[in-house]
Amino acid sequence: MANAADVDALDFEPDDDDLMDEDAAVDVDASSPRTSTPIPKLKSAITGGAVTVASSIPKKTKGRGFREETDAERNNRMSGRFDSLDSDGGPGPERSIEGWIILVTGVHEEAQEDDLQNAFGEYGEIKNLHLNLDRRTGFVKGYALIEYENFEEAEKAIAAMDGGELLTQTVNVDWAFSKGPFRRRNNRRRSPRGHRSRSPRRRF
Amino acid sequence: MAEEENGVTAGGEFYLRYYVGHKGKFGHEFLEFEFRPDGKLRYANNSNYKNDTMIRKEVFLTPSVLKECRRIVSDSEIMKEDDNNWPEPDRVGRQELEIVMGNEHISFTTSKIGSLMDVQTSNDPEGLRIFYYLVQDLKCFVFSLISLHFKIKPI
Repeated sequence: MANAADVDALDFEPDDDDLMDEDAAVDVDASSPRTSTPIPKLKSAITGGAVTVASSIPKKTKGRGFREETDAERNNRMSGRFDSLDSDGGPGPERSIEGWIILVTGVHEEAQEDDLQNAFGEYGEIKNLHLNLDRRTGFVKGYALIEYENFEEAEKAIAAMDGGELLTQTVNVDWAFSKGPFRRRNNRRRSPRGHRSRSPRRRF
Repeated sequence: MAEEENGVTAGGEFYLRYYVGHKGKFGHEFLEFEFRPDGKLRYANNSNYKNDTMIRKEVFLTPSVLKECRRIVSDSEIMKEDDNNWPEPDRVGRQELEIVMGNEHISFTTSKIGSLMDVQTSNDPEGLRIFYYLVQDLKCFVFSLISLHFKIKPI
């Protein structure tokens, strides 16, 4: 499967499954708890196994995590039931428990909450605003999460502000949550190019 | 911008998992989250202190959110680091950071980091500092997503 070449045709799900299968396989392999010596086969199992096959490019691996038998335990931790909000799994944005969340990226590092309030309050009352900071620099990390009560408000904000300008920077605006896994079709509009396109095609 | 690097904007493979935890008086207490290639975000937080409820949440993210996560990872340049000289996980706790991005796959482990002091006195302060801040930025991102979507207070 040519990874970068044919972006549109590539669906992530196979990789996804492979990751899990790989974990499961390792689990069986390494089910006897904690033999103390590092086991090279585990490393190769992760790096040379299904994940690599899926992308057909050998991965460069690095880190002590490959030399330890944590996979069985990790599988345990992550194998239980995870709660999610009811969703039909279809395409399109997913409603959050109290409203609709959008993501703004490309936010200026010196932006203030007021700047976002002013720009995005126009489309509806902002119920929640997270403008997180870079923990090292103390400046804005570059994204904001905004909650509107109604779908239409969020939709309008996305349509109006995506590709628009905020404090001299181009911002991109999109839904934060989705009803299901992403399909390539869904991804097409924002993938292959490095620059941000100012496009009118955001329609769900 | 380091955007092109590692194909942040191209749809290359991306997976990220972070774990921090320890086993002690209250059993196995941990926090773990992962961004899966199909957009699924999973979040698990197990604290046996007082009540022994495990919080497990999952939600699908849009490609835009995943892309922002990649951007944060890419800008940190964590993929250039190595955990060779970081403190080993110990009884106090362990952290794991596993990332697949493009054709690179890292799986770093280290002890818990209490403060920047631990970073300074380690054998690889530069690398560990990058890890330290990246983890905080990622947690912050995930906590916002989870708390906005489910209206719970993570941690």
